[in-house]
Amino acid sequence: MSEPSTANLGPSLTPPRRRNSRRDGRAAILMAGPNLAMFAIFIIVPIVGGLYLSFTTWDINNGAPKWVGLANYTKMFSDPIVGVAVGNTVKFMLFGVVPTVLIGLGLAMLINVRFRFVGAVRSLYLIPAAMSFAASAVVWRYIFLDGPGYGVVNWVLSQVGIVPPNWFVSTTYALPALDVIAIWLSLPLATILYLAALQRIPASVIEAATLDGAGPIRRVVYIIWPMVRPFTVLVAIVSILSFTTGSFDLVNILTPTGGTNYATTTLIFYIYQQSFTYGLWGYGAALSVLQIALISGVLGVLRVFYLVGRRA
Amino acid sequence: MMNRARITHSVRVLVATLVGVLLAAPLFYMALNSLMPDSQTADLTPQLIPNSVHFSNYTAALSGTTQVIYSRSFLNSVIFTFFVVLLQWMLCISGGLAISKMRFRSRTFITVLLGVSLFIPILTTLIPTFIDTLKLGLINTYPGVILPIVAQTGFGTLLFRQYISQMPEELFDAARIDGANWWTMLRRLVVPLAKPATGAYVAISVLTAWNMYLWPLVAASSPHLELLTQTLATLGETTFGDTHPQNIVYAAIVIVTLPMIVVFLCVQPAFIRGLTGSGVE
Repeated sequence: MSEPSTANLGPSLTPPRRRNSRRDGRAAILMAGPNLAMFAIFIIVPIVGGLYLSFTTWDINNGAPKWVGLANYTKMFSDPIVGVAVGNTVKFMLFGVVPTVLIGLGLAMLINVRFRFVGAVRSLYLIPAAMSFAASAVVWRYIFLDGPGYGVVNWVLSQVGIVPPNWFVSTTYALPALDVIAIWLSLPLATILYLAALQRIPASVIEAATLDGAGPIRRVVYIIWPMVRPFTVLVAIVSILSFTTGSFDLVNILTPTGGTNYATTTLIFYIYQQSFTYGLWGYGAALSVLQIALISGVLGVLRVFYLVGRRA
Repeated sequence: MMNRARITHSVRVLVATLVGVLLAAPLFYMALNSLMPDSQTADLTPQLIPNSVHFSNYTAALSGTTQVIYSRSFLNSVIFTFFVVLLQWMLCISGGLAISKMRFRSRTFITVLLGVSLFIPILTTLIPTFIDTLKLGLINTYPGVILPIVAQTGFGTLLFRQYISQMPEELFDAARIDGANWWTMLRRLVVPLAKPATGAYVAISVLTAWNMYLWPLVAASSPHLELLTQTLATLGETTFGDTHPQNIVYAAIVIVTLPMIVVFLCVQPAFIRGLTGSGVE
């Protein structure tokens, strides 16, 4: 599971009304100081420093960074693997996040029902959230195992007469297989969030619609979907963060070379490889700038959608 | 009519249960395989029910020639998780109090900054964060693995800000009249009253820290700092996974995952509360 760090999107930023002219400047520095100091040292400094490093070449074990201007960026745009890695990342996200959101809503609707053991059944849906990408990678590697001694998936396929692929070695099926694992791990969060949204729809609203003759599909389209729509952005944000984690953890564990012909080389994996394997730290920093722009850009746009949707 | 509604309800319950079992199937599969004899997991046909139950796989995963889980890694994971959650909680609850109830310039700026940081996960800043930590001389030390994660305070601080800002101003005024300073108010007022928020925060952070892979991988590459996620990652690698008995590998995953499943089942309500957060309302 990845950090669900954006779940709490906070109230609007209006300050509380002012009762008197009390100022807590000095006390506030002491109170928030440690937090802000750590934030500055390990988040602000790396971001600013990373931007600087992206204009240099540097062997971290040897001497100081050398200024090379835009060289890393021109290299980035002529490096064909960067395009492949961005493409893989987009594919991994798109074919992972969209199903997660849709299936998550479906599952939430399925368990938004009262019965005796509903708590236990809901737990079944949510337990995978307790598992790490690393642990599930190992389990799913066995499930997808290719012969001799097929895993469950390939055994079933071979029983019905399909020649099963060697999933993680294949250039076609490796990325989808990783997506399946990441979807499985991300579904619990999506389901939890949607369930919370559904439970806020008054039962009377749905009953009234049912009495008026609205079938299941029309209930979903006209009542449930509009009411959970603001949550969809939140589910998408949380899922994207989860898939960002997965796009490294699963790739590095299950396809440690980045797949056959870069089939599973995602941007974060490529950055890791360029820096930690080949020692190209300046280039890694430039690619990191691209990565922050892409991921944080998408998340930022979604965040704006969320705020606008909530006001509307 | 009534009858039909009851049948629909029963079908729905049945479908919901079956889908739940299917979703949790990999976990059951893992648990069942961890109890099988070696001959059965090595069988060419995947098996579901153990012929005989072998709890000895667990001791084999923890000791002897087939050992995969070392007490050192287990201890490291516990230390890492404990300090990440404790230190970050201290930063977040005090920071949350400051930006919700205290008045100072740049408060809005700091709040926005923390909000923006939510969208810059450490994965995207891996290289610069690594170099930063390296230059501080902290790579391959406990503080080097722990502190950069502790510093990811955006989520927690905003969670506590949200919770504390709903506490009535009168409480703080009363405490102030009694002569309490902010530090006393934090300890006597905010910490006890914010217990539900702390529960939600701890639930999410414990899981996140225990399951973290990438940062420990680069920041703690020396064997004596290895965490359990790294141990598991090794099990996933082709060469290892193929040569090691599957039943013992499964047992190892259960050993690592079970504590979190237990934690998760106990704190599930808090977890859900934290995730859906008041931010959604």
